[in-house]
Amino acid sequence: MKKVTGRALSVLLLVAVMVAGMGIYIFRLVRDGGDWASFYANDSVYTQGVLNRGAVLDRNGNLLAGAGEGGFLYAEDASVRRGCLHVVGDLEGNIGTSILSNYRPELINYSLLTGTTTDGGTVQLTLDSDVCAAAYDALSGKKGAVLVYNYKTGEILCLTSTPGWDPQDGIHFDLDDPAYEGAFINRAISSVFTPGSVFKLVTMAAAIEQIPDIWQQTFTCNGETIIGGQRIVCTGHHGTITVEQALAHSCNVAFGEIARQLGGDTIARYAEAYGLTASHELTDEISTAAGSVPAAQGDGDASWAGIGQYEDLISPYAFLRFVGAIANGGTCVEPTLLAGEKPQQVQLMDPATAQTLSEMMSYNVQYEYGAGTYPGLEMHAKTGTAETYGGTHAWFAGFITNANAPLAFVVIAERAGGGYYVASPIANAVLQKAVAVLG
Amino acid sequence: MELVTAIFGEAGPTLARLSRYILPLVAALILARCVGSMLRERYEPETWAYLYLPGNVMVPLRHWECILGRARSVDGQVNDPSVERLHACLIRDAAGNWTVYNLGRGETYVNDMRVPPGGSPIADADVLTMGSAAARFVDLTEQERASLLKYRHAPGRRVRPGVTLLLLTVFQILLLLQQLTYNPDAGTGVAIAFGVVAAVQWAYFIVLRASGQTGFEPELLAFLLSSVGMSVAASKTPGDMIKYIILFVVAVCLYVFLCLWIRDLKRVKSVRLYAFIAAVVMLAATRLLATSRNGAYSWIELGGNLTIQPSELVKVLYIYAGAATLDRLFVDRNLIFYIGFSAACVGLLALMGDFGTALVFFVTFLVISFMRSGSFATAFLAVGSAVLAVMVVLSLKPETLSRFAVWGHVWEDIYDKGFQQVRAMSAAASGGLFGQGAGNGWLVDIYAAETDMVFAVVSEELGLITALCCVVSLLAMAIFAVKNASAGRSSYFVIAGAAAVSMMLVQMILNVLGTMDILPFTGVTFPFVSVGGTSLLACWMMLAFVKGCDTRARASFAVVRPERFTGGAGVEDGGAEDEGWYGDGYDEDDADDGGQWYDDGYGPRGGRR
Repeated sequence: MKKVTGRALSVLLLVAVMVAGMGIYIFRLVRDGGDWASFYANDSVYTQGVLNRGAVLDRNGNLLAGAGEGGFLYAEDASVRRGCLHVVGDLEGNIGTSILSNYRPELINYSLLTGTTTDGGTVQLTLDSDVCAAAYDALSGKKGAVLVYNYKTGEILCLTSTPGWDPQDGIHFDLDDPAYEGAFINRAISSVFTPGSVFKLVTMAAAIEQIPDIWQQTFTCNGETIIGGQRIVCTGHHGTITVEQALAHSCNVAFGEIARQLGGDTIARYAEAYGLTASHELTDEISTAAGSVPAAQGDGDASWAGIGQYEDLISPYAFLRFVGAIANGGTCVEPTLLAGEKPQQVQLMDPATAQTLSEMMSYNVQYEYGAGTYPGLEMHAKTGTAETYGGTHAWFAGFITNANAPLAFVVIAERAGGGYYVASPIANAVLQKAVAVLG
Repeated sequence: MELVTAIFGEAGPTLARLSRYILPLVAALILARCVGSMLRERYEPETWAYLYLPGNVMVPLRHWECILGRARSVDGQVNDPSVERLHACLIRDAAGNWTVYNLGRGETYVNDMRVPPGGSPIADADVLTMGSAAARFVDLTEQERASLLKYRHAPGRRVRPGVTLLLLTVFQILLLLQQLTYNPDAGTGVAIAFGVVAAVQWAYFIVLRASGQTGFEPELLAFLLSSVGMSVAASKTPGDMIKYIILFVVAVCLYVFLCLWIRDLKRVKSVRLYAFIAAVVMLAATRLLATSRNGAYSWIELGGNLTIQPSELVKVLYIYAGAATLDRLFVDRNLIFYIGFSAACVGLLALMGDFGTALVFFVTFLVISFMRSGSFATAFLAVGSAVLAVMVVLSLKPETLSRFAVWGHVWEDIYDKGFQQVRAMSAAASGGLFGQGAGNGWLVDIYAAETDMVFAVVSEELGLITALCCVVSLLAMAIFAVKNASAGRSSYFVIAGAAAVSMMLVQMILNVLGTMDILPFTGVTFPFVSVGGTSLLACWMMLAFVKGCDTRARASFAVVRPERFTGGAGVEDGGAEDEGWYGDGYDEDDADDGGQWYDDGYGPRGGRR
């Protein structure tokens, strides 16, 4: 008998299997329960596939999207709907980096304790719906992105991407239509672009720290030069100029020479140090596309890399952090999208370098772009016109130091022309609106 | 809803909402009481006789089946080089007659008479000689029996079963309240269903309590699980409860019958052969008569929407026929026969394409054969296991295999192969700890949710706590069976009890972990909880085997009390039981061997005669 009864213990093996299995289940439930409950077939939170609870609000509490009487609603104003589309997303989940795609558990107010048995939750964003609408209007049909954030508090006021559509109408366009190329992508965070001349800020920062006699050097521009066997073409004949003037004129000949002195490795190292090649966490759930600035070998490629061409690719979001850090004395206050989130701070560059760059960006505006172009804005900026296949990307990036509106910004209009003529007016329009709403 | 308003007035909905939080706590309390009572009781073996070994060493014989020998694992160890490791086997029948069998190569003598292959009787004061060691066999005296009984504790004093039953009734009232509030189609049918469950459990309790029984833990857990199952049925088809009410009553009746039946081991053994035959015939008939459902030929349609799944009933027969007494375990022929029987069952299930059930049988086969094997025939078992494993694999039909393909990846195939499970997980998460309320879920409307994914349905409607209580209930029942094994009288009951809980555990493992994509989804039922007639009948009958190995004092009416054998010590409440409600059938049956016992075996030494 003892033998038989002892062997009854084998039953405990099955007990152990069940206990282990339940352990795995509970672990997964804790980890993924919110996602499970957010599944569209969950009839306790979806009415015929449409979310029946939850709301996304802007910083002022205006409804951007949410369940209401008669179904799921978006903002009342069409420009707000379109201007916030890529951040807010649509109910169908077409935009993978959106709040509606990534914050369902918060919207249905899921918790392990109560499941979905409570009322819905709200997700409040730092976005300002008016600024986003202004950005959408200012882009006026161009593909691109407008990013604005408070470099002291981290709050993102605007993260608008085009082309999009009106989420209230749903998708009524041909996905192959070139006008809607990449409509599901938030270009502000998920795309990388050739930076062109805005990258000269990076090269400049490296030069300040790595070339001791940079301020004594002068550069002679005759419209073009040969470096490392490659022809570097400039936008004009700038004659003999200082480095400040070279940045303001965005002189390719001068920056080609500076880049040659720095070398491709140094340029790549600085791009990496400034977080321009990394993927960043916009929120816990949403991360941005990583850029790339490969270390160019040879003087010719290094020169082009320092001008922001060669194989340089950068996301507008990464560049926003970079200009934000310049504006904030070298310390980047990480941009935040969710209201009430405490921003992280990271020392991105030497305060002295930031200070110098800041002065040079102000000089750009004073002596090249024209202070009167940006009435009421204490503008510090750099233009970019990036050569790419099929046209030039128009960039305009920088910050304003108005006391009530410490805002950094990046504007990119994809294959839309020159930075000064196309991107700069968009930035001006959006910032005017931002300064107005911030009062 | 009208009913709720009629009973509770305006407070109905508020009460229902509140009850969602109370229900899991009541479930947990019931479970805690049962578990506490089952597992906290001290281990108190019964003693049936003594053996005085050379050097005046006394060995109590604590079972009806005891092995003697030199090995450490035997029940009576004789440290003498002339004794075989497993030398002899002492077996007591229900009547109190002891028989000694010789095992292995050694020789055994009773009073210098050599024990023949068929065994020879041994009585008080006989001398048992194994090799050169002589031992004296001493049966218990009347006084010894009485004093031993006095020191054995009946369960139910520390944790009163009546209170637990009261809590269970509260649990059922809360379920009913929620069903009537949240389930728009629930009406009098549902109310009657819960009423019947409550009535049956109280009738069961009162009758048995009146006859002196105090151990109710396994049944209480089964009633708890059945109540949850009734709620799932009410969520699924609130307008068609009569079927489930009848099934439940029949299931409990079958359980009571089987408990009474297995009281007499001799009777159990006498019809084992019929169980063997019935099992194989039922499976073969099923294969021939069944209509295909998802590629499996397991269901026989009886007309109307009544279908039965004979393989569920075969589970009971399989355990009944597969468990064996110790004397049979030492005959290889029996083991080979058992392996052949198992192969026939699993083979027929393979032909039916019922992979889930084939797997349940296979694991149960492993448990039973492991317990049966002793130290013999490991090779047979290895071969047998391999053959059966192949058959299990053969039972895999494309429909089942395709579900295997998404194992661990159900979220990547939400429209097709993972359709059911992603919904199950979603609904289960939605319930939180306290649930959406009984009758307030949507998962139950998904195909087969009320059976194959019932854990998720319970999680959604009653919450994770109650769902976990269901799981722990069965785990506790299994541990209880293991704990009781060490005090088992016959290996038949120990094996049957372990096999029954194993079968239930395997089903629960496949059901719960399959639903949640931790194991492949095989579509078996959660014991007692899954809605489904034949499965419920089988579970309740398997519960009889759990009761059959519970030898605590006055704990189980499936076990004959030791008092009955003494003729005296148990008189104070034994009489009520003997002439009691289960009536003539038992006594008539008992008359054969019982009479013999009094006349030939025990009589001469006896008490009353």
